[in-house]
Amino acid sequence: MSDETPSRRTVLAAAIRGVPLVAVPLALAACRGVQVLGSPPPPPAAIRALSAAIAAEELMLAMYRAAIAQLPAGNTPAALAVRTVQAEHAAHLSQLRSRLIEPAPSPSATPRPVAIPPGSTGSILQDLELAEQAASDRLTGQLTVLPPALAQLFASIAASEATHVPYLQQVPGAAP
Amino acid sequence: MTGAVVAVLQSALAAEHAACYGYGVVGAHLVMGSTALAAAGTDWIAHQRARDQLAAMITDRGGLPAVSAVAYELPFAVTSAATAAQLAATMEDGVAQAYLAVVALREPALRSFGAAQVLAAALRAESWRGSTQPFPGLPPTSLRR
Repeated sequence: MSDETPSRRTVLAAAIRGVPLVAVPLALAACRGVQVLGSPPPPPAAIRALSAAIAAEELMLAMYRAAIAQLPAGNTPAALAVRTVQAEHAAHLSQLRSRLIEPAPSPSATPRPVAIPPGSTGSILQDLELAEQAASDRLTGQLTVLPPALAQLFASIAASEATHVPYLQQVPGAAP
Repeated sequence: MTGAVVAVLQSALAAEHAACYGYGVVGAHLVMGSTALAAAGTDWIAHQRARDQLAAMITDRGGLPAVSAVAYELPFAVTSAATAAQLAATMEDGVAQAYLAVVALREPALRSFGAAQVLAAALRAESWRGSTQPFPGLPPTSLRR
């Protein structure tokens, strides 16, 4: 790498002269500027995207509840992993709801039934992986209609959901 | 406007410079021939590519890309393969945070680029840590209670 040569030389020269090197804190250099959240009411397209994201998270949580009911009872690695991810979705939902300025639609009295076809641990995990990838892609596709702070939240949740895929894939019993 | 955009890209570039340096440290503590070392190599290359991409984006907007520091202070002592993996995961958290600032920009192409990089950093962090996070890159203070 040609642009590294001068800096190496600088290191050497400094070391020879006994000049202390100024080290930049790694964490400081890496962490700058997420915009301060708290912005004017989002425009209608953003409200629609936000409502859709809330509905998608509700559906996802219902799917995880159904998956837990289908998995063999007990604290198996699969059950632990599924509950861990479920908790992250609950956090997503509460953050998304907190950004909705309109009165939230009252939650339907009867939770929507979500079908997860009965099957092996591997097939249940695979259904969840597919749902995670689709949810992540859907959020990513909405970014341009959002105000900055909401775009950041969507991008972060999309990234979280994308990481659930390899996380579920490495659970013992997951389909290869 | 362009100045503000360039400043955000410079912050992301600074994070990439730090990551390129840090992966050298990570690699030095991994076992030769291990899958972890191969992963560190792949991730290092990804950061070098992103760094070069950011530098080009800054140049295109009339800015002068920031250069890497000579050395970076590590957030904790790296003495083993385990602490090396921890460093990699921590750096990816920082990179994700820097790219979330790019996501806040209005230009659709920059926003998409930022989001793709947040996602890539989160995936790398997951592979080093073996666990996931609900809000990659978002500092806890920006979350509502």
